[in-house]
Amino acid sequence: MAAPTVTASLNAATYSPGDQMTLTVTYSDPDTRPLTVTVVVTDAQGNSSAPVRVTAVIDPLTLTVTDDSGRTWTRVSDNGSVAVYRAVA
Amino acid sequence: MPRVTVTVRDNGGRTATATADYVLAPPVLGGYYLAGNADPTADMAGGNFRSLTQYRSLADGFTFPGYNKPWLLSLGRSGFAINMVLELKHYGVATMAAQTFTVDGVSHTVPAPAMTIQQRPGTTWPRAYGYGQVLAGLCDGLFARALSQYRTMGFGVNIQLASELDTDHEFGTTESGVSYGWAESDARAVQAMTYIVNWFRARTLPAGTTFSVGSGGFDRACFRRTHPEALMAKLDFLQWNAYATDPSHTALARFRRTKDWAVADLGPVALSRPVIIAEWGVRAAEIPDQAAWIATVPAAVAQLNAERGPRIVRTNYFNSSWGSLAPRTNGLAALRAAYATRPYV
Repeated sequence: MAAPTVTASLNAATYSPGDQMTLTVTYSDPDTRPLTVTVVVTDAQGNSSAPVRVTAVIDPLTLTVTDDSGRTWTRVSDNGSVAVYRAVA
Repeated sequence: MPRVTVTVRDNGGRTATATADYVLAPPVLGGYYLAGNADPTADMAGGNFRSLTQYRSLADGFTFPGYNKPWLLSLGRSGFAINMVLELKHYGVATMAAQTFTVDGVSHTVPAPAMTIQQRPGTTWPRAYGYGQVLAGLCDGLFARALSQYRTMGFGVNIQLASELDTDHEFGTTESGVSYGWAESDARAVQAMTYIVNWFRARTLPAGTTFSVGSGGFDRACFRRTHPEALMAKLDFLQWNAYATDPSHTALARFRRTKDWAVADLGPVALSRPVIIAEWGVRAAEIPDQAAWIATVPAAVAQLNAERGPRIVRTNYFNSSWGSLAPRTNGLAALRAAYATRPYV
């Protein structure tokens, strides 16, 4: 099992009170894989059901964001490799 | 400095962490200037005014706080950020002859100003102490007098050397009979400004003393020439002025013009310095509803400060000349309202 990686970048170094702040998080783990299981049931007479698909993720990642000034960061998007958070300065 | 920490954890408990630091800037200081260096206290009463511009000629025997200006001491001691423009320009209110005076027991003699600036055709060209005179050490007495008075005030100020070098040099300068073009004048001014900053910095200064050089900010090449990194390393602020003098002029466009040039042309030292807008204003002749224009300034400044590049930290409305507020009460009410909104609070 490999370790995950993450980078974090803000859209500015300095904010004025009230500014919208955007945090972009890029993350990955070589082990993380999407998985789709397809189930088909077949009886003794050879009749098969329609296929049913179930998706899962192997070694899923969880992301947490904290701010030592107590500011609340809200997730606005996450596609599995890039997540965007917003806060108000 | 606040820090945001991002942790990613996989199913096996392995983690990776990244951090990003940021700075929360204090509010921009809303400021003012009243025509003739007059007492602005009444105009500012009840508003969130925290910054002020003043002009003094180094030829004047009363540089700090200025002749009959006890109110400047009151404002400074109450925490106002004072931008003190010190000019080599002679205002012509006293004799333009040589001066002899005593500072802290030492007698100084300074020659008559030998340069003309602002050589606009058809006008009387103002006199100024020459950049050559400064570099020759002939004006040291003026600096000594100003410093001695400054030390009695009890608070630090920003010393802005020159009002607008671009305005001063636009039509060339002449010193002791020798003419210099715009670019030559800029180069000579950079040497003289460097000399003056070095002169002050070599002496004990009140805590909080900072320096800048003055620009109208209307000419890109001049702005670049007058902001070399070697000089900026000795300065604490960038500075330019912003005026609306055409119906098409938006606040965002007027405040951003010089910033865009700075970001494109200046070096990292210059761009690390915050910006003082020593003068801003809207001319009633072209934009009669000054109040409506003023109301758009906070959002413009906030937007510029949210973009990359140097941050605007003080904006001083110039209630004089192009910026004269008419009607005055409407203009002052608009200023109060503007300075009561983000990014001024």
